[in-house]
Amino acid sequence: MSADQLVQYLSWTVFVLIFVSTSIWAARHPQRANIDIALFFSAPTAIIAIGTAAVFGLVQAGPLINAVNTSLLLAMGYMLLRIVDDFAIVSVWLMRGAGAALAVLVAGAFVFQPPRPNWLNLLMLLYLVVVLLYAAGAFIRESRRSSGVTRRRMRSVAAGSILLVQLFIISSLNLVAPALQNTWQVLADICGLAAGVCYFLGFTPPRPLRRAWQEPELRAFLGRPASLPRLPDTQAILRALERGAATSLGANARIGLWSEAERALIFPQGDPTYRLDPDEPIPPARAFRDQAPVFGANIPSNYPTYAEYSRRVGAITVLAAPITAGERRLGVLVAYASRTPIFAEDDLALLQLLADQAAVILESRALIDEATRVRAYEEATRLKEDFLSAAAHDLKTPLTTLVARTQLLERRAQRDPMAPADLVSIQLLVNEAQRLKRLVLELLDAARAEQGRLVSVRTVVDLVPLASQICQRHDSARHPCVVEASEPVIGTYDQIRIQQLLENLIENAIKYSPAGGGVRVRLWNEDQQTHLTVTDNGIGIPPEDLPHIFDRFYRAHNVDDRRFAGMGLGLFICRGIAEQHGGQIRVSSRPAQGSTFHVVLPLAREEVAIYA
Amino acid sequence: MHEAPILVIDDDLAIRDTVSEILVFEGYHVVTAANGADGLRFAEQSWPALILLDMRMPIMDGWAFTHALRARGATPPIVVMTAAQDARRWAQEIGATGYLAKPFELHDLLDVVARLYGI
Repeated sequence: MSADQLVQYLSWTVFVLIFVSTSIWAARHPQRANIDIALFFSAPTAIIAIGTAAVFGLVQAGPLINAVNTSLLLAMGYMLLRIVDDFAIVSVWLMRGAGAALAVLVAGAFVFQPPRPNWLNLLMLLYLVVVLLYAAGAFIRESRRSSGVTRRRMRSVAAGSILLVQLFIISSLNLVAPALQNTWQVLADICGLAAGVCYFLGFTPPRPLRRAWQEPELRAFLGRPASLPRLPDTQAILRALERGAATSLGANARIGLWSEAERALIFPQGDPTYRLDPDEPIPPARAFRDQAPVFGANIPSNYPTYAEYSRRVGAITVLAAPITAGERRLGVLVAYASRTPIFAEDDLALLQLLADQAAVILESRALIDEATRVRAYEEATRLKEDFLSAAAHDLKTPLTTLVARTQLLERRAQRDPMAPADLVSIQLLVNEAQRLKRLVLELLDAARAEQGRLVSVRTVVDLVPLASQICQRHDSARHPCVVEASEPVIGTYDQIRIQQLLENLIENAIKYSPAGGGVRVRLWNEDQQTHLTVTDNGIGIPPEDLPHIFDRFYRAHNVDDRRFAGMGLGLFICRGIAEQHGGQIRVSSRPAQGSTFHVVLPLAREEVAIYA
Repeated sequence: MHEAPILVIDDDLAIRDTVSEILVFEGYHVVTAANGADGLRFAEQSWPALILLDMRMPIMDGWAFTHALRARGATPPIVVMTAAQDARRWAQEIGATGYLAKPFELHDLLDVVARLYGI
């Protein structure tokens, strides 16, 4: 047996083996894609069978056999196009055109006996080359779009198509240079063998190869559990887990989390408003209910009520596995693809592995969250206690004077009923009572700021006259106050609170400019927002205090309590007013040079109910 | 008339004046200071018979004041006078003789002073 014969027999054997294995697969899993693949390999197998039969004299080589062989070869092109349609999508018109061309060429093969006219041969070659190149292009495109194992499978199939094109071109060289017939034959056989292997690996990769192809992504995914729970939030973890599962499987992936409150599965990264009842029949619900992985092919026809939804999200074929940590059912991991043959049966085991991994990661995240919650609660409790003791301390100071001084007046009056009224004492009492009133109101505002209840009735307000009014009231020779605005600055605000905000900032500007100095208020519109700045040339704020200056009870280190009265609630309330209008407040300052407070407010009411 | 002065140290002017007037009305001699440092200066000059001491003050607080006073060998009775909840604990901390939690009643102030003055 010569070498070229060996190659030929080898390629025949490979094709027959592929046909047998794909047929068995299709018989076990009678889905369109599997049947199409088996049909595709049935054509070369038939050609081989006829050839073998001819060798043993069972059939007589002749024009009829030649026409049948040619037809089978032509049919392979069309069949490949059907497979392309299973994996990617081929337009209906192209499919119909290819079908019509196939019919015409097959008819030609039977009508014209060999040697056929060259134009017919050329047309046949053209048909095959066009179809195969289209298939190769489609698979390359699909491989670019996909990842992991699917990408490798698509590449393999694309390579197979290109090899087939080469085979047909080489075979047709036979007609051009028949003297080298043997060489062409060997080259064609080699191409055929390689194409067969490529298709086999791409369409029905044997399990070990599939595993090997999944391995790099899987390894990368499984190598991350230590770092994942530390991601900033659960959403980021879900994203990372879904991405990992998606690339490992070469498909899309979503995680549904079980909500005990809603008794439903929620997909935060998908459509967050969607609620999946675990009693539904579709695979994700079943996987969660039965606590076992589920494979679901052709969702639109198997679950008609989900047809529209599954087409919209591109979930025609679905794998689902429960994410469960011990007794705690956390949710489901769902992998899905818009084309059936992307998944194989044994991907279920892989998906379950990924789901278990996700369970470990989500569970450790939950523990971290729990610890954070406990810490936050402790912190909130501590803040509340600080608030109470600081508030109590500040309230007791004027109260001390009020109590002791009134009792002193009483004592004096008892000893000397005829003594004139002690005006100095009464003035002192009035002052302390006022101080107490201010403190109580400020504390109430701080409590409201805390609860997000500072802002109530909103009306359309022009901030310019409002600022001018307050400025005028505080204007003095020592602290001249000017308002700069080139146009009305109008928004929908709680006027009383905005007034309080302006008053606070202007009073601060004056209070912290003990050596005197101007206060400048600027107002302008920009980017659909209202801007307002209050600038002074006062003592400024040390850089280390800047990040905390809006915190409750915080007072900068250069503030001498004796010279500057206050509880450290003014700016906290200002921040509350700005933020509860949907805006923000910032500060820039240099010690001994002055400070600028910058308030940005949205023009209209923001419908985001953060504090609701 | 009591000759040795009572030293009232408090950063709040209204409280300082009120306490001072109450004690003066009862016939005591009173000196006042707005913080520990000023208080220390007075204490060195006039050897007070009793000190009424606020704890949280700018410049020099109650703890630093007591420490400095003891370092100079002076041991007049001290009454801690604070609005904080820890009045009793703070008084123990600095080894004070008594404490007044703000806001205090007039007779509590007079009782404490009467009890501790001149011991």
